[in-house]
Amino acid sequence: MKNDHAFHFKVNRRHWLKLGVSSIVGGRLADTLLNAQSVTPSCAPAIPQNHEPSNGGACPYPIPWLDKNGNHNQPAAPNVELSSIFHFEGKLARCSGFHGMGTDNKGNRLTWGTPTTDYSYMAGEYWAARQPHEGIFAHT
Amino acid sequence: MTPVPSAGLTFSADGKVATLQMTNVPIIDQPRWPAMDAESTPAFLGFKLIFRAGDEAVLYEDPMRQYRFRGFKAVAQLEAEVRVPSIDFTFKTDPLETSKADFAVIGTEVNGKYY
Repeated sequence: MKNDHAFHFKVNRRHWLKLGVSSIVGGRLADTLLNAQSVTPSCAPAIPQNHEPSNGGACPYPIPWLDKNGNHNQPAAPNVELSSIFHFEGKLARCSGFHGMGTDNKGNRLTWGTPTTDYSYMAGEYWAARQPHEGIFAHT
Repeated sequence: MTPVPSAGLTFSADGKVATLQMTNVPIIDQPRWPAMDAESTPAFLGFKLIFRAGDEAVLYEDPMRQYRFRGFKAVAQLEAEVRVPSIDFTFKTDPLETSKADFAVIGTEVNGKYY
């Protein structure tokens, strides 16, 4: 029994030592991860103060069935969603399948464009943070 | 998706021609996309894009996905310059008139709560 108690004591001391070291390392790692975060966009949701409601940010809402970056996973074409913004009303133009020629800084003549070389603009009203916003956006 | 300054998008008086022009748009150069481990490099894009509406009307609508686009088939032309500073690479396309897009439309859309 005595040996068991001594063993438990050593284990507990080791446990606390490990926990202490882990906390220091973990703390530094957390700092590193926080420093690695990108700059918060200005339309990001504000942190509510004094128990105010949180209605989200003013960033445009992406098309739900597209990926989280708001990128289209399909080339622009007839009968597909052409906007990159959900809850949108306004002017829109979209094109895809560009092809042409160009020159690099070493004088090489190169072709450019693929079926997914697509561009668009969206200019009008969109709904975010439970209110309408006006904006002009481009998908490049 | 990039916010556009109001001066960056202009329309002709009859609304049939739209010009989108931007400079130094931050983008990434990712030659091995869509590979999961495709490395990306910061790059910058400047471009001028013109849409000219044609006469053929189009209507794309999907009630399930809550969108409706009304407009016209269009001709789109683009000239652009790309810079990838880290590898000292720049590329400039030939003039606007020499480019061609396989698909282009111009019009108006409603979706989501506006549908």
